[in-house]
Amino acid sequence: MPDTNTPADAQAEIPPPSIGLGELIRPIRSKLILACLMQAVASIAGLVPLIAIAELAKELFADGGADDGRLWTIAIVAAVAFVVRLAFYLGALSVTHYADNDLQLEIRRQLADHMGSVPLGWFDDHDSGEIKKLVVDDVGAMHPLVAHALTDITSAVVTPIAAMTYLFIVDWQLALIVLIPFAIGIFLYGKQFSGYGENMAKYNEALEEVNVGAVEFVQGISVVKTFGQAGRAHRRFIDAAFRLVDYFWDWVSGLLRVSSAAEVALSPLTTLAVIAGTGSWFVSNDWISATDLVVFFVLGLALTAPILTLGYAMDEVQQASRAAGRIGTVLAEPVLPEAADPAVPADNSISLDGVGFSYDGERDVLRDIELRIEPGTLTALVGPSGSGKSTLAKLLCRFWDPTAGAVRLGEVELPDIARDELYRRVGFVFQEVQLLRASVADNIALGRPDANRSEIEQVARLAQIHDRIEQLPDGYDSIVGEGALLSGGEAQRVSIARALLADPPILVFDEATSFADPESEAAIQDALSNLTIGRTLIVIAHRLSTIVDADRIVVLRDGQIVETGTHDELVDLGGEYSRQWSADQRASRARDALVEGSEVPA
Amino acid sequence: MIKRLLTVVADDTPLRRCIVWWVVAGVLQGLGFVLLVPVLSALLDGDTGTAAWWSLAMVGVLVVYAAVRYVAQLASYRAAIGLSKGLFQKLGDKVAVLPLGWFHGDRVGPLGRLTSKGVIDVMGVPAHMLRPIITAFVTPATLLVALVFFDWRLALATLAAVPFAFAAFRWTQSLVRKADGAHHDAAAEAGSRLVEFGQTQAVLRAYGRNVDGNQILDDALSGYRDAGRNLLTTAVPGLAGFVTVIQMAFTALLFVGVAIATGGSLDAPELIAILVLIVRFVEPLLVAADIGGAMKMADATLDRADRLLNEPLLPEPATDDQRTLASGSLSVDLDAVGFGYDDERRVIHDLSLDVPAGSMTALVGPSGSGKTTVARLVARFWDVDEGAVRVDGTDVRDVPTEHLMSKVSIVFQETYLFAGTIADNLRLAKPDATGDELAEVARLARLDEMLERLPGGWDAEVGEGGTRLSGGERQRVSIARALLKDAPIVLLDEATAAIDPLNEVAIQNAIDTLRGDRTIIVIAHRLQTVVGADQIVVLDDGRVGERGTHDELLEHGGRYADFWRERERAVGWRISSGVGR
Repeated sequence: MPDTNTPADAQAEIPPPSIGLGELIRPIRSKLILACLMQAVASIAGLVPLIAIAELAKELFADGGADDGRLWTIAIVAAVAFVVRLAFYLGALSVTHYADNDLQLEIRRQLADHMGSVPLGWFDDHDSGEIKKLVVDDVGAMHPLVAHALTDITSAVVTPIAAMTYLFIVDWQLALIVLIPFAIGIFLYGKQFSGYGENMAKYNEALEEVNVGAVEFVQGISVVKTFGQAGRAHRRFIDAAFRLVDYFWDWVSGLLRVSSAAEVALSPLTTLAVIAGTGSWFVSNDWISATDLVVFFVLGLALTAPILTLGYAMDEVQQASRAAGRIGTVLAEPVLPEAADPAVPADNSISLDGVGFSYDGERDVLRDIELRIEPGTLTALVGPSGSGKSTLAKLLCRFWDPTAGAVRLGEVELPDIARDELYRRVGFVFQEVQLLRASVADNIALGRPDANRSEIEQVARLAQIHDRIEQLPDGYDSIVGEGALLSGGEAQRVSIARALLADPPILVFDEATSFADPESEAAIQDALSNLTIGRTLIVIAHRLSTIVDADRIVVLRDGQIVETGTHDELVDLGGEYSRQWSADQRASRARDALVEGSEVPA
Repeated sequence: MIKRLLTVVADDTPLRRCIVWWVVAGVLQGLGFVLLVPVLSALLDGDTGTAAWWSLAMVGVLVVYAAVRYVAQLASYRAAIGLSKGLFQKLGDKVAVLPLGWFHGDRVGPLGRLTSKGVIDVMGVPAHMLRPIITAFVTPATLLVALVFFDWRLALATLAAVPFAFAAFRWTQSLVRKADGAHHDAAAEAGSRLVEFGQTQAVLRAYGRNVDGNQILDDALSGYRDAGRNLLTTAVPGLAGFVTVIQMAFTALLFVGVAIATGGSLDAPELIAILVLIVRFVEPLLVAADIGGAMKMADATLDRADRLLNEPLLPEPATDDQRTLASGSLSVDLDAVGFGYDDERRVIHDLSLDVPAGSMTALVGPSGSGKTTVARLVARFWDVDEGAVRVDGTDVRDVPTEHLMSKVSIVFQETYLFAGTIADNLRLAKPDATGDELAEVARLARLDEMLERLPGGWDAEVGEGGTRLSGGERQRVSIARALLKDAPIVLLDEATAAIDPLNEVAIQNAIDTLRGDRTIIVIAHRLQTVVGADQIVVLDDGRVGERGTHDELLEHGGRYADFWRERERAVGWRISSGVGR
């Protein structure tokens, strides 16, 4: 019986180093052992009422007639055993569930902490949906294992062993015969699963094709429709889906005889028929008493019944292991090393010495970068897209560590600086604004949670956003995205206020390629002007016209510095920069030509 | 649930057939169990001959059961195949005809899961779940009926346990449901905080909020834990109650049985046999409880499938009323259009707009003013609530969607590319495009610079959704694609927002070459890209605020003139760190 509930994302590739399932559940191991012991007691207690039926039979057919008192004693013992079973079963269940609950929080916290310390590039390969799935769903997927499977397996193992032991004591020959259908069933199961791995791999492959087809079909439908190609995408999806279904059919129908035979051999009816048939024969030969046979009827099924439970439990273990594998892989991801004995930078100068960087270990994004940035200066990074200017800026914030050379702040290598010390000194204003779903005040105070309201309002005024915030339904306490629906330009100004409050002496600033709202472009610039005063500035520039005043312009191409100097020096040099500058000038002249004669009436 | 399955498939006979077979199998299994009573009675009475005959009967039942089971399983697989193929087909057909406006960000992910894993989950219902579920009810029912013939008092006592078990089950469920709501909310909060954590990671780091833990996220995670704990504290007594009731029922039967036996009104062999039988009674129920979770999942999938299949479509014109559009330039006009995404909030109010054939109209206005909505109404992403959108004087609702689409090129701010090469993605617009045509649009859209840089050039893989390219590169590919399509109506919605200024000017020039015979509607934040438009329309809260050429609007001195002045002020801006500069 191939299981159709196989997770779609079963990965075929070789797993990277990973922290195992056992490691993950270590914190609650003793609780789990306790729960399994409790479950074992419950399972054995559960057999007592069944044995009581047999005892009842013995008593009723005892020579000299039944003793009413003994009958009642047996019934009461059975009732007590029920209570014991119930108490221990619920106890085991509670222990595992509460332990699972704690473990989930523990693992989730570990994951959050760990993801907060890996190189930022990790987040490029793992989008936020994946992170959510990992921390919520994958950690949750361990629940069946931790809370159910272990105790289920305990029960499925203890119950048949205890029952068979009892039966062997009563009559070992008959007990052996009862084992026959069980053995046949297991043999057939084995046969059925012989090609399982290969089949499953093919099935997963077909399933993956459906997944890809579905994602592409659904995500791209608006595009294909506008190009009149909906039919093609539709067909591709349906074809993949039908191939999967047909493969499933071939697989299961080919195995149907074997699997049906296995299940019939293990079905309770078969066991009962075997006991009835051979039992009658044994009794007629006086090899066993009829009353002893009763116990076979009630306990005989204990052998095959757990097979199904075991099947489910194994499935749960597998799914949990896969989830745990994904969790473990993330936890094994190397973090940016933290200095054991952090040093304090002497000043706020920055130097890059022979810095090289590669995201994938193959293609160098930066090579041999030598750069020194003095405190209080304005440095502009210029170059075509893909030249490495953004990457260089991000190395300064230690979103990554360089793969060659060193980045130093105040003569100390960045990894040797305590992280909060680094972020106190180096701030970053991004092109894309990232606000949290929290109050506007909390968003501004992100870097300094202890700031008071008047400080927050002061920076909001400087960022030209105070008046707008006052208009929000709850003013500074409005929640971004709920009460506070801000336009792109407004959000940009909130993020500038945030940087103003954090007040880092060094600011890395990624100039926007476009402003979100035309009407607020100038307001944003006013806010930026307030932000940049008196800081060491590193600007990733997209428009040359905004950085002509820079103390130094660094021109990058293909990950290397090709020119440095002031605007005038570089224009005189007649190289890369001067070519870009004249292209830029031509472009803006072309624009001006378009609007020639359209002066704004005063 | 099963009724639901029957409504999903077009032809429900295979499903009905397999249900019938499993019912027969369940009855046979019950009958086999019932035969225990005569076997045991005979044995305990010392009549081994009779016992042997009854045992033989039991083997007979077993053989029939095995055969029926095989047939039933085969029928189950058949039904599963039919069901999943039918569902795949239905969902696929529906997705292909849903209005374009239906597809927005947070709908696409769940839809992708529904059309893949979701269908597989549903397929598992007939394939693997039908048997345990049907057996869980049919076998005990058979036993109960048989019990009436053996001893009505024990049958009655067994029957009496049923409502108790049912009530306890319902009580448990209601307890769980109550706590489950809060648990679900906590999970949603934790999930959205994690999404935020991933999306704002750069800021969180730059502001040192990952160093001593992110309090907001940790609160959400702790809240999730607490909600889980709460659920447990509520559910465990419920579960305990349910199991207790079942166990008590069995204990009570034991006591009733002993009481009847000691009273001498029931033969001892029969009592024992019946007690053995009652042990069988509970078992199938427990198995069914095991697969309850999987059933719930399949049920939720069916829910979603149902909802999707019931999404309203944009009506296509009847074949007789279909109109085709002329070849060559086409005008676009909106006539007193009113539109809202839901019944409560209108986003477009009484908006009229004429775009003559071969002219360029720019839509300008703050975010939320309805620019994108207007552009998409032209491509019939949705139907208007009032008024009409016409192309070349023909209401778009009278034109077959596919035909309308063939007349419109759209470039959005967010672009989707297909996994494949850059050439593949361009050929989507024109499968038989020649190399020269490709080279020409590549030049116009500044793709040539990119092709030189990327390893593989035209054969460079763009990754799923185009993620291997930057936002600006994706936009250039999609502009090239739109150019290649060469449709008479062109809609550009922030088409160059992610492209750097140098390339943007070049692309702007390319767009200008389109002018002449094409009708262009452009949305742009950067005003300099719209100054040359034949008509500029300033939208304000879904209404036309001002309209005219650039010069006319400046003359008018209204909102547009304000924008322009602001921009003029912005143009000369320079960054300085200048203390005293």
